[in-house]
Amino acid sequence: MTVLSDGDGQDLLALERRSSSLRSVKSAASYAVLVLFTIISVGPALYIISPAFRDSKSLFSYPPQWLPNEFYLGNFQFLLTETSYVRWAINTLIFATGVTLIALVIDTLAGYAFARMQFPLKKTLFGLILATLMVPTAAVLAPTYLMVRFLDDVTFGLVGIDTYPGLILPMTVSPLGVFMMRQFIETLPPGLYEAARIDGASEWRIFTKIVLPLMKPAIVVLGIFVFMLQWANLLWPLVATTKDETRVLTVGISTLQGQFVTNWGVIAAATLMTLLPITIVFLFFQKWFVQASVAGALKQ
Amino acid sequence: MAEVIIRQLTKSFGDNTVVKSVSLKAEDGEFLVLLGPSGCGKSTILRLIAGLEDATSGEILIDGKIVNFVSPVNRNAAFVFQNYALYPHMTVFKNIAFPLATAGMPRPEIDAAVQEAARILELSHLLERLPSQLSGGQRQRVALARAIVRKPAVFLMDEPLSNLDAQLRQQTRLELMDLHQRLGITTIYVTHDQVEAMTMGQRIAILKDGDLQQVAPPLEAYDQPANTFVARFMGAPPMNLIPVTVSGSGSGWTASGQGGSVELDLKAMGVTQAAIGAHASEQLQFGVRPEHLSLAASGTGLSGKVRFVEPTGSDTFVTVQIGEENVVVRCAAHETAKVGASVGLAVDAAKAHLFGTDGWNLRTK
Repeated sequence: MTVLSDGDGQDLLALERRSSSLRSVKSAASYAVLVLFTIISVGPALYIISPAFRDSKSLFSYPPQWLPNEFYLGNFQFLLTETSYVRWAINTLIFATGVTLIALVIDTLAGYAFARMQFPLKKTLFGLILATLMVPTAAVLAPTYLMVRFLDDVTFGLVGIDTYPGLILPMTVSPLGVFMMRQFIETLPPGLYEAARIDGASEWRIFTKIVLPLMKPAIVVLGIFVFMLQWANLLWPLVATTKDETRVLTVGISTLQGQFVTNWGVIAAATLMTLLPITIVFLFFQKWFVQASVAGALKQ
Repeated sequence: MAEVIIRQLTKSFGDNTVVKSVSLKAEDGEFLVLLGPSGCGKSTILRLIAGLEDATSGEILIDGKIVNFVSPVNRNAAFVFQNYALYPHMTVFKNIAFPLATAGMPRPEIDAAVQEAARILELSHLLERLPSQLSGGQRQRVALARAIVRKPAVFLMDEPLSNLDAQLRQQTRLELMDLHQRLGITTIYVTHDQVEAMTMGQRIAILKDGDLQQVAPPLEAYDQPANTFVARFMGAPPMNLIPVTVSGSGSGWTASGQGGSVELDLKAMGVTQAAIGAHASEQLQFGVRPEHLSLAASGTGLSGKVRFVEPTGSDTFVTVQIGEENVVVRCAAHETAKVGASVGLAVDAAKAHLFGTDGWNLRTK
């Protein structure tokens, strides 16, 4: 056993103090990095709040005015009365909801098949689906457009450009969704399927009565994820819509930008109104997101 | 109720054969235990009978019909899983009712059947609870209720007690035996716990590496093990095995090893003179259970030195080193043997066994 002298005690105290101050420095540095990234990610969204409540003149005043003197609601009034904002919002809701519902059906069914069923070329097909994750959306934009144009002809305008089916259907297939659902289903204990098989359940009954109810958290998370993604989708709706009757918010807002004059207050108000519902949805469900992202990380 | 027969059943996963041509019969209403260490193929046999795996070759018959290509539900066999496999999102009622609802039974009949199963397993007050709100023992009872509600011909149980603590395991063991006595359903029960096998089984089938070693009533398997594997696997502490050579003629034979020699009682051991004569020049294994040895004065019987003394309350186990072998002796609770002391060992030769070089009991030759 080692006996400590007084000198040793003082050394230990000094060592303790040094490591304590080192911890404080490390902690401060971590917070500085976090604050920086928070500003970068949240800053632009916060930046639009002020212009949304100011008239166009005060937007360009000098010196710059960060906060409005009074809450000017003219931008919102203009948006709701002089533009097709309400129509775009309804279209966006139909588009995002439609894609979400269909994608959930496809993804859960495909995920189940890849996780639980045996069929020829299963691994190859799954590999192919995953490979499509690497293809950027922009790269398939033109072929998708041509395909929808073709469908326009063969379905007599039912699925085509400037139609809801034409807008919705190409976005419903999501390899990431299939992958997520498959991974989640694989975490369910195999004993459940076997018990259900012995209890006489068909594959469909196992899927609907056992697997689907247990997938609720994953389905909610994927649903919100897809909904948010489609709510903010610009690229495909920009190509697939040419009229206000089918335009969605992102495309509609982009048309507010004039060739020579742009009312930035109106654009800021439109952006704010578009971001608000989706932000509320995310904040409401963020706990589910965290749960789903760590699901499977720990042994059940 | 039904008898279950498997004939030359083989199951391979790729190059790995986990069940090797096993033939076995569970009589109508019998409680048959499949016993063996992990990886011996016992659970695979149960899954093959249930239809959860397809046999590579061989036949499975339930109630006289070949069921190899019959779906699990139509085999009329209920399976109880090690981890219970209860549906976590369903209440106890719905868990028990699931097989009946799947079969399309009318609601009033389902209600009656579930209530009856719940009554038998004392679950009536828990029907509205979720599995997560139940204790391990209660979950096990729900799994059993789900199995009996279908009124199956055969119960297949895959280590159903292994997730319970020791006290609950003992209690549930008695409940299972009581259930079997009341319902009389043919039961095939898989376990690696030889105490469970001994206490519950009417017969035990002992497996090793996919091969069937012995099928016998519990005490027969204990008293007359077919080979050294069964001899060592059944019993705690296991049977002592001492290398010996035998010599003699007629009915007078002696086994000699490092600690001395023992006069053999061939008649009591069930070994023929021809069988022992054929192995006269070989090194055999002399097997004797700890309770068939007793400490004696030095120079009596086998000679050795006491290495360990382990009192367990009801018994004291004394480990005696004989040459290079350690031999365990079951003694009375307050045995006062001293570590390091030289002792003699008296052998109850009538209860001893001789195993050949291939490990099989000479009794079976």
